[in-house]
Amino acid sequence: MLKVRGIEVSYGEFLALKEISFTVNDGELVTIIGANGAGKSTILRSVMGLVKCQRGEIQFQGKVITSMPAHQRARLGISLVPEGRKIFPDLTVMENLMMGAYIQQDRKTIDSGLEESFRLFPVLKERRNQVGKTLSGGEQQMLAIARALMSRPRLILMDEISLGLMPIYVEETFRVIQNLHQQGVTILLVEQNARKALAIADRGYVLETGEIVLSDTSQNLESNPQVKKAYLGGS
Amino acid sequence: MLIQQLANGIAIGSVYALISLGLTMVYGILRILHVAHAGIYALGAYVGWFSFRLIGDFWLSLLIGMAGSALAGYFVQRYLYSPLLHLPRIAPLIVSIGLFIAMEETFRIIAGPHTLTYNARVGLGDLSIGNFQLTETQILILFITGLILVILWAILTRTRTGLAMRACAMDAETTSSFGVNVNAIIAINFLLGSAMAGAAGVLIGVYDNQVWPTMGSIPAYKSLAIVVLGGLGNIPGTVLASLVVGLAETFFIGVVAIPFPRDAVAFIAMILVLMFRPYGLLGKA
Repeated sequence: MLKVRGIEVSYGEFLALKEISFTVNDGELVTIIGANGAGKSTILRSVMGLVKCQRGEIQFQGKVITSMPAHQRARLGISLVPEGRKIFPDLTVMENLMMGAYIQQDRKTIDSGLEESFRLFPVLKERRNQVGKTLSGGEQQMLAIARALMSRPRLILMDEISLGLMPIYVEETFRVIQNLHQQGVTILLVEQNARKALAIADRGYVLETGEIVLSDTSQNLESNPQVKKAYLGGS
Repeated sequence: MLIQQLANGIAIGSVYALISLGLTMVYGILRILHVAHAGIYALGAYVGWFSFRLIGDFWLSLLIGMAGSALAGYFVQRYLYSPLLHLPRIAPLIVSIGLFIAMEETFRIIAGPHTLTYNARVGLGDLSIGNFQLTETQILILFITGLILVILWAILTRTRTGLAMRACAMDAETTSSFGVNVNAIIAINFLLGSAMAGAAGVLIGVYDNQVWPTMGSIPAYKSLAIVVLGGLGNIPGTVLASLVVGLAETFFIGVVAIPFPRDAVAFIAMILVLMFRPYGLLGKA
């Protein structure tokens, strides 16, 4: 579904991504783990089209999208849960969700999307007329996920969704991701919380200072001594 | 007497709102101080005046004035601001100031340095109840501004495009990731904001019964003061600030009769707001 070949991204002089290649197959849950500042968010942002790649190629469903603007990629079925949630602060929960459904023309699809969001996160229904900035961090994260799902994406990119969340919300959001995966949604998940990410992912890539250094199934990565030492807290 | 001042203040304040809204919308989405917006306003008055001379119908001249301004605003955005967006915001600001001066000079060269009279009438007649009097042009201003504000409000709160416009002003990048073509939204902002400025130009042309090359000078800085007063980029705040300034001007000059120029009122208000509520009347800290 997603094929990334040798992309490079730099911010001014600083080369943030070097020769990054990876794939995400239909229905897979793939995770990219790595330390803070390794370039995980930059990978997702380049797939979404929010940063330009200087080199390399990105293919989505067999189509080269490397130089396509973000809004057209969204229309092809790519959706992003951005780092830091990026809820529209002065729009209501309902309006935030409607923004997520911007590319959907069909009223029925939008309504069933709303129903789905509220079933997944009942608290959003209670808060539907509240503006985004009045929600708690956990609620904002739920809204960010629900908003990204409203477009009925083929591929959903999730960026550090456990960051800054209370432990109970972390459990809950990972359960939601697992559910989505079981429903057949293709997911690319970027996480600092490597243990949790590997526990639910099919495959994983390890990113170190802008380069992919390892790629394997989640099980193998979990038992890999290097990964254990660097990302799973020893032992 | 008090009601009379209230009516006068609201009438002038609502024209200020028409001018300032475009400015605040452009700032909200591009973070550019669009000084040439006042030139777009004067252009609307000129286009309105010319078409009124040709056709003799006020309503048609209003629509043509608005269309002329909308088109001009769109071209300014597309061919002057867009290519400069990767530069520090001082670059489009300088271009904007230069463009404004060039527009004033162009009006002078084409239409002459003298004032042109724009005595359009629609046959409503003035309204007077006892001491209270509304002139025909005041009625027109209140009606047209009210209508335009309701339409703008409906677009912003009831349509998909309006939702995208508001989202873009908060976070353009995230908005684009949901399939919104941000460039199209920016263009719509300029079209709408400039059409409103054009309407204001026509209305002031008829209200003062004159159109002249530098008619945009005072609105240029007054609308800037109003936009700051309303909280840069804040649409309801800008409408409120416009009415406050319109009313304050009328009351200070008409009731208190302090001998200072009415155009100073907006700036005194702006200085006070910057001292005590730097985020604007409706803004949040």
